[in-house]
Amino acid sequence: MTQDTPATVLLDPHGAEFAADPYSTYAALRALDGPYYYKEIDTWMLTRMADVEAVALNKTMLRNNEAFISEDARLAQQRAINFHDMPHHERFVQVNLLESEGATHDRLRKVVFREFTPAMIARQREAIQSFVDRLLDSLSDQDEVDFVGDFAAHVPGHIIGRILGVPDEDCPQLRHWSEEVVRFFDPGRGDEDKARAEQATKEFYEYLLDLLAERERAPQDDLLSRLIGHRDGGRLSQDELISTAMLILMAGHGSTIDVLGSGMHALLRYPEQHERLREDPSLMKTAVQEMFRYESPLPFFHRFATEETEVGGKLFPAGTRFGLLYGAANRDPARFENPDKFDVGRTPNRHMAFGGGGHFCLGNHLARLDMDVIFSTLNTRFAAISLAEETPEYKRGLSVRGPKALRVAWQRA
Amino acid sequence: MIKVTFVEANGKRIEAMAKAGDTLMQAAVGAGVAAIAAECGGACACGTCHCVLSEDWFSRVPAPASDEADMLDFVIDPQPTSRLSCQVVIGEDMQGIEVQVPDSQI
Repeated sequence: MTQDTPATVLLDPHGAEFAADPYSTYAALRALDGPYYYKEIDTWMLTRMADVEAVALNKTMLRNNEAFISEDARLAQQRAINFHDMPHHERFVQVNLLESEGATHDRLRKVVFREFTPAMIARQREAIQSFVDRLLDSLSDQDEVDFVGDFAAHVPGHIIGRILGVPDEDCPQLRHWSEEVVRFFDPGRGDEDKARAEQATKEFYEYLLDLLAERERAPQDDLLSRLIGHRDGGRLSQDELISTAMLILMAGHGSTIDVLGSGMHALLRYPEQHERLREDPSLMKTAVQEMFRYESPLPFFHRFATEETEVGGKLFPAGTRFGLLYGAANRDPARFENPDKFDVGRTPNRHMAFGGGGHFCLGNHLARLDMDVIFSTLNTRFAAISLAEETPEYKRGLSVRGPKALRVAWQRA
Repeated sequence: MIKVTFVEANGKRIEAMAKAGDTLMQAAVGAGVAAIAAECGGACACGTCHCVLSEDWFSRVPAPASDEADMLDFVIDPQPTSRLSCQVVIGEDMQGIEVQVPDSQI
């Protein structure tokens, strides 16, 4: 497989231009006659829905390459990533359900899946509503807010904290830890980011140990208490329990904030769609689904091929790393009519914002319920919401998508 | 080709012509059966392609594997003859099968 691609197409995900509009780059990549080799991370990027879906569903494609590289290569790889000493981060964050495969993945996923079913998540509706109401009450004297920083950023951490069994007063701390822990995954991370990620992991670990000890003495109707039951029943180890709790916190946090911000932004950019949703609240489910498709908050994941595989009409050797650009696939005209149109009533809408295959996002129902409650409440409480800045700045990079801040003006109903 | 009829909650019947070897989920998605969300794409990982077979058809297709059986515990309103359509492979002997589709998967 040669690695030549036309010089006219350039993927530069670190710049302001890509952050402002990744979709024209995605469209240019999609127009190539096959996957695009992105040298910087030695990865073949996939932008067509058919290719992304095929790789996500292919059971020979794995999230990590440890199964087929030598022990020396694996250690070298770990050293390259860990130029800092990060014992807690490595133990509880870099090894978890998301990064596992095969029997370990199936075992852990089964434990967590039952906690995030539609029925289990529906039990949180009242708590989400009450928190959102209180938060909006606290902002009610302001005519203009940063929808992301003042509002959206507070919601997911609080709700995940509740599900885990963290007392309400400690939930703001969870948000801080979550943001610090994921600093490790920033492509431009430096020594300080790693040190902070490690420190937050250590603090969260110690906090969880105390909380676990309390739940062991007096179990509650919460996720931590049930994880203890699974641990004692031999279904997961103590380290897996900790890493699972950390993953649940991290996975549901930043991405939900991002899609709340970009979803609000989409409604404000397309006021006729916002009006349509206000007039027909029964469209909320499809509107939320469309927010995930239109600005997928986690637009990039990867898989390694464990055997020679044909993708996008070309043959790739074992060991090839593929980039699944969900954000691009979700705008593929071969799957979606008028893919660049934001349509709150879009049906069908079989997007891949939650990934696909065995790693399909476990928290999808929770994220959707958060969004449903929030946008329904905003439409009831406010007569009008409008953008209070011309062009909100979006986060840079390949792996995240969402506005850094979103100034909105609102008038109470 | 094998004729599969999907019957939606409102009684609407959608006919699909499927290839042997395809799954019921693939046939449903191909025929535009909106209630088969099939969000994970067919990996038995999301529980959003729930359907219900008649007792007769349920007994004639291979029984659910343990992964599917576990997942069926969590779908909305599971029935004794519930299946995840992504796990039911269409065989030559399934000509004319009828499949009930629930109102919603989530």
